[in-house]
Amino acid sequence: MSISLSHLTKHYAKTHAVQDVSAEIKHGSLTAVLGPSGSGKSTLLKLISGLEKPDEGTVTIDGEDMTHVDPRHRDIGFCFQHYAPFRHMNVAKNVAFGLKVRKRPKKEIDARVSELLALVKLEGKAKSFPAQLSGGERQRMALARALAIEPRVLLLDEPFGALDAVVRAELRHWLKELHGQLHVTTVLVTHDQQEAMEVADQLIVMRAGRVVQSGNPLALYESPATDFVHEFLGPSTIFEGEVTRPHDLELVSVHQGQVKGRITSIVSLGFEAQVTVELSDGTSTWVQLSRNELSAMGLRVALLVGVRRREDIDA
Amino acid sequence: MTNTSKWTLRVVVMSYLGVLIGLPVTFLVVKAFGHGFGAFWSEVTQRDALDALKLSLEVAAIAVPVNALVGVGAALLIARHDFVGKRVLDTVFDVPIAISPIIIGIALVLAYSRIGWFGAPLARWGINVLFTPLGIVLATMSVSLPYVLRSILPVLLEVGDDQEQAARTLGAGRFRIFFQVTLPSIRWAVLYGVTLTIARTLGEFGAVLVVSGNITGVTQTLPIYIFDSWDQRFDVLGSYSGALVLALISIGVLGILAALKRREKKLLVDFA
Amino acid sequence: MGGGGVLIVGYLSIIVLLPIAALISHGLSISVATHGSGWAFWHWHVSFGFKTFWSAVTAVGSRNSIWLSLWLSLGVAAINAVMGVAIAWVLVRDRFFGRGFIDSVIDLPFALPTIVAGVVLLAIYGPNSPIHVDLFETWMGLMLALLFVTLPFSVRAVQPVLASLDLESEAAARTLGAGGARIFFSVVMPSLWPSVLSGFGLAFARAVGEFGSISLIAGGIGRTTTASYYIYNLTAGFLWVDAAAVSTALLVISLVVLVTTNVVSRRYQSRLL
Repeated sequence: MSISLSHLTKHYAKTHAVQDVSAEIKHGSLTAVLGPSGSGKSTLLKLISGLEKPDEGTVTIDGEDMTHVDPRHRDIGFCFQHYAPFRHMNVAKNVAFGLKVRKRPKKEIDARVSELLALVKLEGKAKSFPAQLSGGERQRMALARALAIEPRVLLLDEPFGALDAVVRAELRHWLKELHGQLHVTTVLVTHDQQEAMEVADQLIVMRAGRVVQSGNPLALYESPATDFVHEFLGPSTIFEGEVTRPHDLELVSVHQGQVKGRITSIVSLGFEAQVTVELSDGTSTWVQLSRNELSAMGLRVALLVGVRRREDIDA
Repeated sequence: MTNTSKWTLRVVVMSYLGVLIGLPVTFLVVKAFGHGFGAFWSEVTQRDALDALKLSLEVAAIAVPVNALVGVGAALLIARHDFVGKRVLDTVFDVPIAISPIIIGIALVLAYSRIGWFGAPLARWGINVLFTPLGIVLATMSVSLPYVLRSILPVLLEVGDDQEQAARTLGAGRFRIFFQVTLPSIRWAVLYGVTLTIARTLGEFGAVLVVSGNITGVTQTLPIYIFDSWDQRFDVLGSYSGALVLALISIGVLGILAALKRREKKLLVDFA
Repeated sequence: MGGGGVLIVGYLSIIVLLPIAALISHGLSISVATHGSGWAFWHWHVSFGFKTFWSAVTAVGSRNSIWLSLWLSLGVAAINAVMGVAIAWVLVRDRFFGRGFIDSVIDLPFALPTIVAGVVLLAIYGPNSPIHVDLFETWMGLMLALLFVTLPFSVRAVQPVLASLDLESEAAARTLGAGGARIFFSVVMPSLWPSVLSGFGLAFARAVGEFGSISLIAGGIGRTTTASYYIYNLTAGFLWVDAAAVSTALLVISLVVLVTTNVVSRRYQSRLL
């Protein structure tokens, strides 16, 4: 089910939360809306779900204008940042809620609930209450609850924001796999570029309520439209007055490079090393090298070196 | 929520509050001034009324400071120390508001009057609580016991003891810590509790009625004067006038409480 | 606990614990006699005068008044449980001019001396009622007085809990297709039950013991004599032991209700957190 957003604008009391946002979200895609906090990404998700009404613009799902449809009739699955579990219901009842609202027969509900609990690997927890679950389990329960109604669109607000690093990485993989099985059109909101790059097949980068750039993650990484996207999507440094990726730079002997400088610090991070160089024009830049390159060149602090772009060699 | 249900709820709530609180309070004013301001004024300035007011204030002047000290002490004890029976101590403070004031009055009589447990030895020292101002003071202390404690305790627990420990590492003694660290952080709560205590001491009726014997000019507090005017002397205007005076005091109290609540959000969780 | 602690316990003993002990002891006609030579407890003879207690409590006037207090208090606690949720809802979720004022007005019955509450209600619902509604010496009058004095308990028990509820749960229910009524009854109310229940318990206990606000409107006739009024009448006739007996019975009733509502509400709540 494709989603089409056209000229969406939403003001709060003083701030422009979302300003003239248009985007196309393809059927079956997993789209990440990426941006720093306050960029309007969560508001955008609420506009898609209908939990917020736009001041201007339209939301179309599958060719159907949904702008004025109440969220209860939109057939969307929404996973909240803090999961919003129904605390007084056990896991099975949480998952069954949407089906009960739709007055499905009890047999069908029971079958569907156990199917979903198996899907999210919570088979043993049907009778547990949310308070007894770990953060990751709560997240999976919220997902099962949202998926139970067979939504046309799945919306996830900072789905892994409140989890610790290990669980977060696990759930990311699992979500990607799950999406591969279900092919439900999914939009997730995140401020974590690594998460977005890893999980999504489409990116929408937002800043201050506006879409800055959208498209396939690799394309955005390789050819960012603005300095903001460049800096936001990965490591960056400034070289010869331009924003560039530190792994696109290399260090050479002081005679070879046109730009010369002195090494001021070397930080080793296992396989990778970050070398900071103070250039002759007074600016400073950093270069990402592999451990092998570092030892092969015998680099050390205070050494004079040349700096150049790697693609210069290809040319 | 739809507009219709929102407005229905508003109307239901406002009507309920209007019938229960708004209209009655309005008509109290109407009735008290029904014969003009002069009649009202002569009612509230007549001798018995003034005597009753004086006694009420005297009782409050004793009961309020004592209960404030006890409340602050007990709150510090409960919030900052661990000891056996802490929960019991905490619960005992709620006993006086959980049970009928009439029962409190009877309990005091059965403990300290001539017919009570300690009546004989107390009488030997010339102490009697039945039909005396002393009994009124005891009854008032009892019913107004928990308010200071209940106002301070949540704030003390929320503030925690970090600052006090910091002061200790800096070499401050117990008194300095209390007056310069603890008290400033709970001052609004103390004031809130004291205001509630004053309201309760001035207004207490049931417990005081049982122990006082309702002797005009000797053991008649303002609430009992209001009761007596209506029930015994059929002086309805006197009753309305006295009630209006106490009602105005209560409204002043409410204003103070509201102002304090704005300063200290935690105070919202009050007596309930 | 230190010296301050001893002082506090001493004070509490004098103004609360010893009097209550004396009350119950008189109510149950407990008498302690010693025999033999010592004061040690194995020389004590404790006897209960259960008969005296029972005849005082089951006297016609006592039975009727306890019964009246019970059903009035149950009714009042129930009505204010419903209205308490409604008022708390309006105060927490609605936005309108004068909301802060209404919020303060809720405390008025608490700040107002109970006898003043009684006079206030008589000013409009008493004899010579300006709107021709005379509830003097009727159970309706009693009920109105009790609704008045217990209102803050019912509202304030619920209000902070309602204010702290997670709005996302309600939004989640909406995205799953639930309508307003279903969201209220199956998402909001389950979280409110413990506080509604404890408000019910507090209101009930208060209503059972209430005296000041009903002392005038009851008028002193048998039909409108509540338990506390009955007990007061006994003291006016110097029947202290009978008064203590009925008081003890009333104490037990409030205690049972308070403890029950507290335990049930705690047990329910422990699952949610």
